[in-house]
Amino acid sequence: MIKPRPEAHLVFDKEKNSYLCEGSWSILGVGELFRQFEQNPLPESQKLTINGSKMRQFDSAGALTLITCIDALQARDNQVELTDFTEPQQNLLGLIKEKREVLDYTPPRLKKKNILYKIGEEAVHKLNQMNGLIVLIGDLSEKIVAAFYEWRRFQFPSVVSNINSTGVTALPIIALLSFLIGVVLAYQMGLQLETYGASIFIAYLSGMAIFREFAPLITAIIVAGRTSSAFTAQIGSMKINEEIDALHTMGLSPTELLVVPKVLGLLIIFPLLIFWADFFSTMGAMIMSKFMLNVGYIDFLTRLKDSVGFKQMLLGLYKAPAFAILIALVGCFQGFRVESNADSLGTQTTKSVVQALFLIIIADAAYSVIYSWLDL
Amino acid sequence: MSEPVIEIKGLKNYLGGQWVHSDVNLTVEKGEIFAIIGGSGSGKTTILRSILMLLKPTAGTIRVFGENLAELDEKGANALRRRWGMLFQHSALFSAMTVLENIMFPMRELASLDAHLMRQLAMLKVTLVGLPKEAAGKFAAQLSGGMQRRAAAARAIAMDPELLFLDEPTSGLDPLSAKQFDNLILFLRDALNLTVVIVSHDIESLLRTTDRVAFVGKGKIISVEPMKDLMQNKHPLIADYFSKI
Repeated sequence: MIKPRPEAHLVFDKEKNSYLCEGSWSILGVGELFRQFEQNPLPESQKLTINGSKMRQFDSAGALTLITCIDALQARDNQVELTDFTEPQQNLLGLIKEKREVLDYTPPRLKKKNILYKIGEEAVHKLNQMNGLIVLIGDLSEKIVAAFYEWRRFQFPSVVSNINSTGVTALPIIALLSFLIGVVLAYQMGLQLETYGASIFIAYLSGMAIFREFAPLITAIIVAGRTSSAFTAQIGSMKINEEIDALHTMGLSPTELLVVPKVLGLLIIFPLLIFWADFFSTMGAMIMSKFMLNVGYIDFLTRLKDSVGFKQMLLGLYKAPAFAILIALVGCFQGFRVESNADSLGTQTTKSVVQALFLIIIADAAYSVIYSWLDL
Repeated sequence: MSEPVIEIKGLKNYLGGQWVHSDVNLTVEKGEIFAIIGGSGSGKTTILRSILMLLKPTAGTIRVFGENLAELDEKGANALRRRWGMLFQHSALFSAMTVLENIMFPMRELASLDAHLMRQLAMLKVTLVGLPKEAAGKFAAQLSGGMQRRAAAARAIAMDPELLFLDEPTSGLDPLSAKQFDNLILFLRDALNLTVVIVSHDIESLLRTTDRVAFVGKGKIISVEPMKDLMQNKHPLIADYFSKI
């Protein structure tokens, strides 16, 4: 059994002009004591004794409290004498009195930065980040070109393992989400088309939307969420563990060993993932059209083939390389920026996902602009 | 004689398909500096983890301050945990906080102290472990290895524990820092009436600090005696251990 720990008390005996310390003067017991002590009126200009005979525990928190109390009494011109304290207790008090002047030291607060400083700092930071990314891209291109002269340097086993972890394991969630998006799209469009009696156009509308925008974007968003964070966490924890430094000292290139396989793996698998999303979104739209608009499967597919066709699907697939490179690069780049403290890995992982999504949407917009120039 | 601080009887541990301990018996008396040594893989740290309730032993009883660890409920266990402090091998300082905040963290979470008093108490611990006052405002990453170890020690004694565990306290420190850290352990034991349990390989440091040393081998405690005597022990395992160093 743990014994109950009554709190520390300092009881004043008026007749004897003495304080009696009671209870457990430990860090868990003294919390209330000091507040109570300050509230009660204190004697002035008297000879006081403090008796420690009834004290059950006395640790450095208790000792510090006692010293603070004594100071408060002495500040009112009282003379204080300690009685019945054991030798170790007196030693502890002595020890703390010795260190007295250091205790009130407060570490200087970090200087507040003014707004101009912050803007400047952020600008420099962004420039550095840009610089780092460009260096990484350059390094990566050089390594890939160099690999054409020496096939081994493509790191094929690593590429395959990346294809598995970033692509194959993502298949179920991409299938489910794109199916649902297909259903939702067909439903929203169907509501409008039905009022105009133009139900059969559902195949054209949903096909265009899915092939050109929704399937690539949904895939990119899922992959950015899953993969770019995983890349950052993996490279980041290697950095914390000094594994990256270990590679450097062996004369090996972390870019070649870690970044190249990730970029290549994602480049290979990404178009296939978009196709996979195309397939399931179309299926979702098709099933919804059947139930809601009574457009049969065969009608739907025939219209899809005639009015949308393979060309529109290709326009969606062309986005794959850009998305793949963006996700892999941002993930790896943020991983290399991790520093060895607990916060850093978390912030960089968050940044990597947010930046990957941000860049994907910008890239998607760029594609739309280019397609409209080309009248596609 | 007062009751022993730690009492282990018939401790057995079965981990990863093998018996790490077959029969460990130990007592640690109040106020002593007790060390556990043995070859690597002999299960020193496992004993420590069993005492700290980080690992549930397969069999045997462990009593700390007279409480049987196996019979404690969550509340009792937490009350017990507040009476000991642990210094981890790699310091385990919270990297997002300054040294002072690290020390104040357990105080803030576990005790109800006035903010000013808490700050003073934390500064007291900073000076007790021999850190310069300026170190209080720094982050762990800004300190050298030896200073990090001291800061971690300050956090370990933040709640004024009666029992302090040190896991390889001097490993990775240069000889001078190690020596200073040993003096710190002795000083803290005397100043705060601590009982200290050390797991270490550092012979020099053990010679300087410990009262008694337990040698672990073959899943058992082979011998418990002062370090000087232990080094003369003729038991084949012990002689072998010291001859290789």
